[in-house]
Amino acid sequence: MFASIEDVIHRFAEQRYICNRRIATVVYLATHLEKPILIEGPAGVGKTELAKVVAAALDLKLIRLQCYEGLDEAKALYEWEYAKQLLYTQILKDKISEVLGGATSLHEAVDRIAKQDDVFFSDRFIVPRPLLRSITSAQRTVLLIDEIDKSDSEFEAFLLEVLSDFTVSVPELGTMRANQIPVVVLTSNNAREMSDALKRRCLHLYIDFPGSEQELEIVRLKVPGITDTLAAQVVEAVQRVRKLDLKKSPSISETLDWARTLTLLNAERLDEQLVNDTLSAVLKYEGDIRKAQDELKAYLQTQRARGTAEQGDDKDLLH
Amino acid sequence: MDDKIVDFTALLRANGLRVSMAEHLDAFRAVAELGVGDRESFKDALRAAMVKRAVDGPVYDELFDLYFSGLGAAIQQGANALMEAMQISEAEFQSLMDRLAEILQQLDVDLSELAQALLQNDSGRLEQLLREAAEQAGVQGIERSYQEGRYSHSTAQSLGLGGLSEELERLKEQLGRADLPPELAQRLADFIDQRLRDLREMIRRTVRIELEKRDQTQRERNRLSSLAEKSFYYLSEDELRRMREAVTKLAQRLKNVVSIRRRRAKRGKFDVSDTLRKNLQYGGVPFRIQFDRRIRDKPQVLVLCDVSDSVRNVSRFMLQFVYSLQDLYARVRSFIFVSEIGETTQLFEEHDTQQAIELALTGTVINVFAHSDFGRAFRTFHRDYLGAVNNRTTVIILGDARNNYNLPHEWVLRDVQARAKQVIWLNPESRLTWGFGDSEMDRYLPFCDLVEECRNLNQLYRVIDRLVR
Repeated sequence: MFASIEDVIHRFAEQRYICNRRIATVVYLATHLEKPILIEGPAGVGKTELAKVVAAALDLKLIRLQCYEGLDEAKALYEWEYAKQLLYTQILKDKISEVLGGATSLHEAVDRIAKQDDVFFSDRFIVPRPLLRSITSAQRTVLLIDEIDKSDSEFEAFLLEVLSDFTVSVPELGTMRANQIPVVVLTSNNAREMSDALKRRCLHLYIDFPGSEQELEIVRLKVPGITDTLAAQVVEAVQRVRKLDLKKSPSISETLDWARTLTLLNAERLDEQLVNDTLSAVLKYEGDIRKAQDELKAYLQTQRARGTAEQGDDKDLLH
Repeated sequence: MDDKIVDFTALLRANGLRVSMAEHLDAFRAVAELGVGDRESFKDALRAAMVKRAVDGPVYDELFDLYFSGLGAAIQQGANALMEAMQISEAEFQSLMDRLAEILQQLDVDLSELAQALLQNDSGRLEQLLREAAEQAGVQGIERSYQEGRYSHSTAQSLGLGGLSEELERLKEQLGRADLPPELAQRLADFIDQRLRDLREMIRRTVRIELEKRDQTQRERNRLSSLAEKSFYYLSEDELRRMREAVTKLAQRLKNVVSIRRRRAKRGKFDVSDTLRKNLQYGGVPFRIQFDRRIRDKPQVLVLCDVSDSVRNVSRFMLQFVYSLQDLYARVRSFIFVSEIGETTQLFEEHDTQQAIELALTGTVINVFAHSDFGRAFRTFHRDYLGAVNNRTTVIILGDARNNYNLPHEWVLRDVQARAKQVIWLNPESRLTWGFGDSEMDRYLPFCDLVEECRNLNQLYRVIDRLVR
């Protein structure tokens, strides 16, 4: 459990995840109020990562449920193992005839079988899926429901029971209650608007692209070999590119990819040639790349102008 | 504090944020957990509990600042105004106030609460007094800016401004009679006068803040909805820009509708015979359940958009919509025409919206400065692209059918209709004018499955809704 908001920031930093105060506040509240967090924001800002970091920081097991179109209860909650049940009935044929032996009428036989049917609908034949696993787990878990916006709205409605009461109803077995209320993190890319009912049950967190200072910090942390000049230039360039009207804005992970690429190439500062060669690490559409090239060219020129001015000063000092 | 949160929640609701009871209670729990000591985490806590849509974020920020620091800022501004008017620094301001307090104690003057708060610049106390006075005066009821004067007046009255100014006059007299260096006495008198002026300004600001709280978004929304009813022909520059946003939003909404409808149709019914057949290998035990797979209806859309001068303004939105459609459906082919016809599918895929539309409208694809000739354009379409139309294609034609008295060649449309699933014609002109002058709408009409007037956003929306159904 986190002791305070500062504790959240501190422990996240230990896990090499840099977060602002708003994120930390919401995480702190969610763990204390035992409410799910619904995280929205553009792709690649570290929504999924946040859940992993919460798990690591609290030293809990992470259970992940990846949502997709057509995901249903059987995949998310539990499923009966029909094959196993069938196999058992075959193997136990003799035993069953024994049970049925001596029954004088069909009616009686059915009654006898009915007495035994809870054998076949017991824990033994149930395959727990992520939701059930997280709820029945003896230890507290972090349940990550990833990309909830990709699932159907029926599934979303079904989630409501789990999220508000942390119970799961299996008709044959009854209602199962969570021993330990899991920390639930839902992420959404906003492919569709989530229902109000779901939002009502969650604390809401919107993660946007970080500001330059924070992004610089992230780059320095995640790309160890990078020079200070290059890191600053990369971040500044990406921040500029994000302001353009692009099909897909570069995310943090793409900034990191770019920074890593450049360090691999032993670059110490950006120049036009380098940008043109490596820009495909940041941008994924031809049109976007063209636009960004123009923007970055202008940026590098101003940089160079400033650079030569500084050099000029240096010379003066040498005299 | 609880009262304030209740009040603030009401304010959020009044501004169009949907805050349910459960969320409201969450806010209380969150605040109880974190306390109110740190302003930023207080703000974040309330946001996490009550603001669930990203679009509401800016509204929330604005209202939070207005509500929780609006008055404080007004009072601070009062103090700043004083320092500026008397040309003193903050330290001098403070020492002047200390000096005054000292003198008052020596003279043994008993001041009212308000006068004390004002002269000692006690912002917490002042804020409370102002709030109470505003409440008594019923400032919450303010709706229009012309009521500002009236409410300022009544707030001043319930604050007791008349009594205060008399009180301060008396104080000045007392100070004048007291044995003080004349320079200091003058300074103190100035100070008192200035503070009284500050208070008047503070009152005005209090009322203004209350006015600003009254739905900012409501006004915004009203403007948008009236925009939806306005004809494409008569839009100002600013409205054009806002309309673009509206069209994009419309497309987004549509996207949601389409994806939901499509998903619902995905799974077919239980197929008995197929299940039996498939399970013969398991001795007839229904081991694998079979559903009949419904054939997914992939809508194919083919759009012909008139971009001649007469519909220039409209075609901009039409093209924007076509662009959005292309994002939405896998198979959309778009064409633009004046008298030549040209395909723009590729263009829209490669460029972003505004650029693509600009390119389409400035003659990169076809000559856009020719005179409209629907007949010729249709004939070319018949010759070159008729193969693209099949029984799953919806053909949408956007145009006013003003043909400059050229041959209409309506037989093309007949052929197209025979092949296509449906033909929809959207006409930006009012229905009353169809068929008059050089409008050939009446000739084209029999060969369309659906003909709609499409002059504004709401009509466009209705058409689109029918399209995806």
